[in-house]
Parts: sequence; C-alpha cells; structure tokens
Amino acid sequence: MSHLPVLILVVYFAAALLLPLLAKLKNSFPGWGALAVTSLALLLSIASALYVGENGPYSYFPGGHGGPGIEITVDWVTVLMHLTINLVGLLILVYSLGDLKSELHPDSLPAYYSIYLVMLAALNGLVMAGDLFNLYIFIEICTIAACALVAIKPGKLCLEAGLKYMFLSTLGSGMILLGIGLVYMVTGELNMGALSEAIPLAFSSYPWNIYVAMSLFIVGFGIKSALFPLHVWLPDAHASAAAPSSAIHSGLIIKVFIIVVARLIFQIFGANLFAAIPAPEVILLLSTIGIFAGSVLAIAQTDIKRMLAYSTIAQISYIFMGFALAVPSGIMGGLLHIVNHGIMKSMLFLAAGAIIYKTGIRKIDELRGIGFRMPLTMSIFSIGALSMVGIPGFSGFISKYYLAFGALEAGKPIYVAVILASSLLNAIYYLPIVVRAFLGHKEGKFVWDQLPWPMATAMVIMAAFNLLFGILPGSLLRLVELAATALLS
Amino acid sequence: MFDKLLANLHFLAAMLLFIIGFYTMLTDSNLIKKVIGLNIMDTGIFLFFISLGYSGGPAGGEANPLPSALMYGGLAAAVSLTAFGLAMIVRLYKYYGTIDADEIMSKRGEAE
Amino acid sequence: MSDIVLQTVIRFLAPFMQVYGLYLILWGHNSPGGAFAGGAIIAVSFLFGLLIPGPQSRFLAWRQTVQWLAALGGMAFLTLGMAGILQGTAFLTNFLGQGQRLFSAGLIPLLAASMGLLVFAAVFSLVAQLLKEYKNV
Repeated sequence: MSHLPVLILVVYFAAALLLPLLAKLKNSFPGWGALAVTSLALLLSIASALYVGENGPYSYFPGGHGGPGIEITVDWVTVLMHLTINLVGLLILVYSLGDLKSELHPDSLPAYYSIYLVMLAALNGLVMAGDLFNLYIFIEICTIAACALVAIKPGKLCLEAGLKYMFLSTLGSGMILLGIGLVYMVTGELNMGALSEAIPLAFSSYPWNIYVAMSLFIVGFGIKSALFPLHVWLPDAHASAAAPSSAIHSGLIIKVFIIVVARLIFQIFGANLFAAIPAPEVILLLSTIGIFAGSVLAIAQTDIKRMLAYSTIAQISYIFMGFALAVPSGIMGGLLHIVNHGIMKSMLFLAAGAIIYKTGIRKIDELRGIGFRMPLTMSIFSIGALSMVGIPGFSGFISKYYLAFGALEAGKPIYVAVILASSLLNAIYYLPIVVRAFLGHKEGKFVWDQLPWPMATAMVIMAAFNLLFGILPGSLLRLVELAATALLS
Repeated sequence: MFDKLLANLHFLAAMLLFIIGFYTMLTDSNLIKKVIGLNIMDTGIFLFFISLGYSGGPAGGEANPLPSALMYGGLAAAVSLTAFGLAMIVRLYKYYGTIDADEIMSKRGEAE
Repeated sequence: MSDIVLQTVIRFLAPFMQVYGLYLILWGHNSPGGAFAGGAIIAVSFLFGLLIPGPQSRFLAWRQTVQWLAALGGMAFLTLGMAGILQGTAFLTNFLGQGQRLFSAGLIPLLAASMGLLVFAAVFSLVAQLLKEYKNV
C-alpha cells in the first residue's frame, strides 16, 4: 500500500496555497513553480503506475483505521487516468507559460496557476475516490475551479459563459447529492465497496430509490460532461475561455466526469441493474443524436474555437456510446477515446490559441493561406484534424476501431454505421480548414512561425504522443485493457 | 394515508424546497434570484440529509452524526458557489448595467 | 451610516463573536460546529466593522496580508496529515491518542484549528476585496 496517490494531492494543494505568496517575491515564479509541481506529480503517478503493476490494485484508508470508511481506490482505471491527467495537464501548463501573458490581466496570473493546480488536484482526486462523500467534495472543488478557469479572462463573454456554466453545473451537483442521499437512505453506507454489496439487498425492498438515484446520477453527471441535451453551456464556455482553459476543459474535465459515472454505475449498481431500466438504450439514443447534432452544428460555425467546442460534444457522445454498450471492447474504445481525445482536442485548442496569439484571426474564412505563415502550427492542426476524422496511422483511428468493434460485439451493428457516417461529417468540417490553410493561396514561401518556445514545445510533444499512440499503440492498449477489465468487474 | 404523510413530512418539505430552488434557478431571469434559488435547492438537500440522522427523539438514543458531517462539506461548497456567483454578477452589472438575464441576452444580440 | 450606536454595539459585540467562533472550532468534534462555521463567525466579527466608516475600517488594509494566514493554515493541515504518512500508516492518522474532554479526539482539534485559520482568512479576504472594489466604484 503506497502513499503515492495521496502525495500527488498533497503536493498540488501545498503548491496551490504557496504560489500566490511566492509571486510577491518574484513575478515569474508562479508559472515555473506550477511547472515543477506538475512534473513532480507526473513522476509520482508514473511511480504509482509501476507500483500497481507489481503489487496489484489496493485500497487506501486515510485515517489509518483500515476498515470501510473514507477510502481511496487505486486500480487500473485510476492509474490510467492519473497518467493522462497529469501528462496532459503538464503539457497545457507548458503552453500557458508562453500564452497567458497576452490573454489575462497580469495581476491574475498567480491566481490562474493556483486555480489550475487545484483543478488538477481535484481531477486526480475524482478518479481515485472510493466513497461517495470524498467524491462529492472533489466534484464541488472541480466545479468551482472549472468556473474560475473560464471566468478569469477579462471580458464580458467569459463572465457570462462562466456564470452559465456555474448555474448549470450546480444543478448537476444538486442532483448528484440528492442521488447520494437516496442511496444512503436505503443502505446506510457511503463506501463504494460496501455499497456494491448492499445495493442488491436494498433493491429488493426499495426499488424506486435505486432507480431514481441512478437516473439522478446519470443526468447530474451528464450535465457536467455535456451529454446531448444537457450540453448547452459548452459552446460558450469553451469558445470564450483562454486557450489553456479551453484545452483543459475539453480535454480533461468533462471526461473525468464520464469516468466517475461509469465507475458508479458499473461498480456500485452493477451492469445488469443498469440494463434493467432502459438506461443503455436511452444513452445510446442520446449519444447518437449528440454525435450527429454536434457534427452538424460544428459544420455551421464560423468561429474556430466554437467549431472545436461543438466537435467536443460529438466526441463526448462517442465516449458515452462506448460506455453504454457495456461490452469489454466498447469500454476499451471509450477509455481509449478518453485518452486520445484528451490529447487530440487539447492539441487542437492549443493550435487554435497559437493562431489567435500570432495573428488574432478567429474566423475560419480568414484562415486562407495561413499554413504558409505558420507552418508548424498548421501541421500540428492537420495531425489533430486527421486524427479526429479517424485516418489510420493516427490515434483517433484506434479508438474508433475499438468502438466499432464494441458495437459489433454487443450485437448492435447499426452503431458501426453511425461511427462511419459521423467520421464523414467530421471530415466535412475539419478538412476544409487544413486544405484552405495550405492550398488556398498562390504564394509558396514558408515563413517559420515564431511562437514562444513553451507553446511550440507543448504542441509538438502532444503531436508526438498522438502519432505514437496511432502507430505503436501496444502499451496503451494493454493498460486500457486492464482498466476496462477493472471497470467491469 | 394521512399519518404516513405526517410521518414523512420532513422529506416532503425537503423535496418541496429542492423543487422550488431548482425551478427558480432554471426559469427566473433575475440573476440574483438564480443564486437565491441555488441556496434554496441546497437547503432542501441539507434538510433531506440531516433528517436522515434522526433517531426518534430523547428515548431513541444518539442521532447519527454522519449525514451532518456530509452536509458540512456541502455547506462550504454552497457558500463558495454563492460567493463566486455574486462576485461574477457584480462584474456583469458593471459591464451591462442590468442583472436581468433576458436583457443581457438582448443587449448581447444587438451588439454582435 | 456612521452611526455612533452601531459603532459602539460592534465594539462590544466583536469579542463575544470571536470567543463563540473559537468555541465552535475547538469543540467541533463533540458538538455541532467545526472549522467552517467557527472560521466564518470569526471573520464576520472583523467584517462588521468594515461596513461602517469608523475606526474599524483599518482592517481593509489587512486583506492582502491575511493570505499569509491562509497559507499557514493550509500548510499546517497538510503537515499534520503528512505526519501520518511519515509514521507509515496513512494520511491523516490520529497519532495523538485520546485524552480527556477537549483532547478526547487527539489530532482533530489541531486540524480544526488550522482549517479555522484558513476559513477565516478566506472569508475575510473575499469580503474585504469586494468591499474595497465597491467603495472605489
């Protein structure tokens, strides 16, 4: 039983408390301090992964009493998500070192890094919470930090988007808390391990409590992770926020909530209870509508960040579809898409941010020929776009392959057609940008885009991971397979 | 049937508060009323949880402290969200001169 | 409202509020209360004076330095938790054992005191910052 996961949280919170004070000593300290802390957290999560690889999953009880109570569950899902969250968080942080000075007020920079670290801590804590109390506390920390990350950029659009996100997200939190209350009312337990044994007994005497609690969880987490009809806050929030904030929102935050609801449903309620109410059918239907609606609305957008936000809605619906299929390949596809889309969408948002940083252009029509002025950024954008469409050789193809395989394994081949059709729709709104950037103009000279080195480095490393997971996905696939088995058992 | 209603009056009151807060948050156009709706909704949930710890009066033994401890954390979250929401509303008022959500949407529509 | 009645009442009321807040913090493990409620009440005892132009307005200048108290409270909490890790059992183990009455919960009043400091600093700097902006506008 290793203390490493708790140390990740301790390190993040300690740094978040101390960074604003150190900023008074030296002005550039918050960024580099946050970078050091996030690198340390990434090393700790790698060490934790190696530990779980040797010793297997374990439960950790803060307070040292060893019995059911507040629990931290460290299994393969936790390890996978820790690696993803800390890696993507680190790369976005590296990017923000070069970009934030131009987007935020200089006085709010230390506060931004503090909130960013608290956000990463809350995300790490969410995937390892082993009881409902812990879970709710981390959900609230995550909600407040996420709203703050959107609203910290000066300007009225960000304020409105942050306020709208806060109201809707609080509705979700209220529903989740009510669901926790309903479950506690009939079982008297909050620990997830104890609940997984107590719920079948409670279900025989109080079925309606369990049904309503499960529905409240799905809707509450659906608001926070932008399931189709509950996605209305997402375009405003992701399009108006600063580039690193959009990247971490689209790449990490909404996905962690899907992991949490998947863990709740598969490990507490059980997959057969989940299938008893027609929840899988409803979620599959909603995710299909979401895929098509998100893609169609993305085609109609003129602002590049808004288009990426609507594309996120479509991709989240893919992940929901993978989890609702409830077969090992489908869940593997969902988890793979969480990792791959986390890297891809963050990369796309960071590239869009780099374009806005260098040229100030936000409208897609004005991006004609920009590939000649910013070849590195547009190459990385092209890698991201091709990966989103699902071209083999990029990581997006692997996750869509497993999703299609899962649809076949569940006996619902119509979803293969859905995936193929939506990949075509993805191509309709991604490829014109790539084509127009490189082939739109008559001029043929390439001018190197002089971006600040943190921005360029972060984007290049993300593109490298994308290609790595697309061409040599072996180790990632093994990890995801272990995680999927852990989720279903 | 009426005595069952009276026995579960606390749950009924909690759900009533939850629904009133939920409805206010969703539909009322005044932003500060939305924040008040947030608080009412959270109050309903707190009442629901804390009444779960009731054990039947002086002869029934010790009350269960666990739901109260849970709601403690929830209270801190509700206070923080209220503070955050009100601070953002203050800034929005400086930009737009109004705290009515419909007026803000119309001003935004004619500005674009 | 620089009313003499309000100023006098606040001058008399503030120490009682602070004692009550301290009572809530320290007895949080035995009776309803705890760090959040106690810290908020202590912060409000200072903040009442800010609402009235008068001698208590000097507290407005404290709102930046109070952040050091917040960091102190938070770091104390994390350090007390780390003591459990260094001992080898788990984060936040109660290594002080059980004593009499106030000390019947070992580590918990210390944790509550540090959290009370953090909550006090947070609520105070939050409201003081908003009041400063309001007065400047």
